Amino acid sequence: MAKTRIGQEEFARPLRRLVVGLVVLFLLALFLLWRIDSPRVERFRAALVDAVVPNMEWASLPVTQATAMIDDFQSYTRIYEQNQELKRELQQMKAWKEAALQLEQKNARLLDLNKVRLDPKFTYVTGVVLADSGSPFRQSVLLNVGARDGIRDGWATMDGIGLVGRISGVGDQTARVILLTDSNSRIPVTVQPSGQKALLSGDNSPLPPLEFIEDADEVRPGDRVVTSGDGGVFPAGLLVGQVALGTDKRLRVVMAADYQRLEFLRVLRSHDLAPITDPGSLVAPPVAVAPPDTSTDAAESAAAAPPTATEGGNVEAAGSGTAEGAATVVVGTDG
Amino acid sequence: MGDVWRSAHWVYRALFLAIAFLLLFLRLLPLGQSAGAFPGPDLLLCLIMAWVVRRPDYLPLSMIVLVMLMEDLLLMRPPGLWTALVVLATEFLRSRVALTRELNFLVEWVLVSALMLGILLAYRVIFAAAFLPQPAFGFAVVQVLWSILVYPVVVGLSAMVLDLRKPATGEVDSFGRRL
Repeated sequence: MAKTRIGQEEFARPLRRLVVGLVVLFLLALFLLWRIDSPRVERFRAALVDAVVPNMEWASLPVTQATAMIDDFQSYTRIYEQNQELKRELQQMKAWKEAALQLEQKNARLLDLNKVRLDPKFTYVTGVVLADSGSPFRQSVLLNVGARDGIRDGWATMDGIGLVGRISGVGDQTARVILLTDSNSRIPVTVQPSGQKALLSGDNSPLPPLEFIEDADEVRPGDRVVTSGDGGVFPAGLLVGQVALGTDKRLRVVMAADYQRLEFLRVLRSHDLAPITDPGSLVAPPVAVAPPDTSTDAAESAAAAPPTATEGGNVEAAGSGTAEGAATVVVGTDG
Repeated sequence: MGDVWRSAHWVYRALFLAIAFLLLFLRLLPLGQSAGAFPGPDLLLCLIMAWVVRRPDYLPLSMIVLVMLMEDLLLMRPPGLWTALVVLATEFLRSRVALTRELNFLVEWVLVSALMLGILLAYRVIFAAAFLPQPAFGFAVVQVLWSILVYPVVVGLSAMVLDLRKPATGEVDSFGRRL
C-alpha cells in the first residue's frame, strides 16, 4: 500500500506544481489585465457586486438594525447630559435661525434683482447604503440605485447637508460611491469667503487635506469649502465642509456630511455627459474655450455653458475605478 | 468507517466556505468603517493558514482561489494579485506538511507570521512596481500584526469548536492510506 502511494506522489507532484504555476500565472495575468484595461475589469466587478450584494440584503438588514439599536441604547445612558447639551444648542440655533431668515429674504431680493435662474437640472435620486467597502484601505459605499434608475458615472452624491462623494462604477441595481476621504478622490473646491481655489485630495484619513491653494495665507480655519465646478466634474456651489488646521500644520477639511452614519444618500442628476464616440482618441477641450470664471458666485457658474467634451472625458476617467491617471487624456472605452 | 471519513472531508470543506462567506458578509455590512481607523485582523487569511498547516487536504487549491478571488473583487482590491500571493503562501506550507507536522506551535506561529509579513511585502512591492497608490506602510503593517496576534485564537477555536487537529501518527484516510 505504502509503495503505491509513493509512486502516486512521484507522479502527482510535478503535475501539481504545474497546475499551481498555471493558476498563479492566470491570477497575475488578471492583475495585469486590470492594470492595463481597468474599465473592462471594473465593469465585470460592478456586475458581480450587482449580482451578489443585493441578495445579501435580507441578512444584512437585521444585523445593521440590531447594531443601530445597541448604539441607540448606549446613548440612553447619557441621556441627561445630552438633554442639557441639546438645550444649549437650541438656544444658539434660535439666534442662527433668525439670522438665516433675514439672509434668506435678502438673498431672494438680490436674486430677483439679478434675474438669476438656477439650473433646473438639479434633481436627485435618493438611494440607501447597502454595503461599505469592507476594507480599511478603501473608502466607498454601495447604493441600491443603479443604471436602472438612470444613475451615471461621475455624478455627485450628497447626504442631507454636504457632499459625500461621486459615483464610480454603476451596475444595473447598484452604484458605488467613492467617498471624498478615499485616496483616489480629487475634487476642485473653492474656499469661501476668500474665493481661493484648491484641490481636496482624499488621503484615507477622516480630514482630507487641501492641496494647491493659490494663497494659503488667505485661508483661515473655519472658512467654508464648496465645490468650484472647475473641469465640469461636479456642479458648483455644493457644500463640502469647513477648513481646519491639522495637527501636521496642513489645511484640512472637516466634512459637513456625517460620515459616521451614511444611510440615505442623494445622487445629483447634475449634467448631461458627452459620450465618447471615437475610442482611443484624445479628449481635449473644445477649440473656443471661455476664460475660466474667477467669480465664485454659485448661481452664476451653475447657469454656465452647456457640457463640453472635457466634461465627458473627466467623468469617463472618474469611472475607470481606482486607477486614475491624468484626467484630460483618456483612452476611450467602447462605452 | 470509510464513508464517515469521506463525508467528514466534505463537511469541513463546506464549513470553510460557510465561514469564509460569513466573514466576507460581516466585512461588507454598512457599519461605517470610518476613514483613518486602524484596520483589524485579516481573519480569512489566518483561517486559511491555520487550516492548511493542519489539514491541507481539507482546503483544495480551487477553493482557496475561489474564495480569495471573490474577496478581491468584492472588496475593491486589484483582482488576482492578493489571491496569487495567498496561493503561493499556502502552496509553500502545503509542500512542507511533513515538516510542519513535527513542529510545535511556537515555531509554526513564527513561520506563519513570517509568511504573512512576506506576502504583505511582496504585495506592496508589486503595487509600487505597478505605480498604484497604496496606504501608508505603518497602517498596512498594523493589519498584519493584528493577524499575527489573532492567529493563535483562530487555531484554538478551530481545534476546540471544529475539532481540527494535525493528523496523529498512524491515522488513515478514507482510502485506508496513511496520512
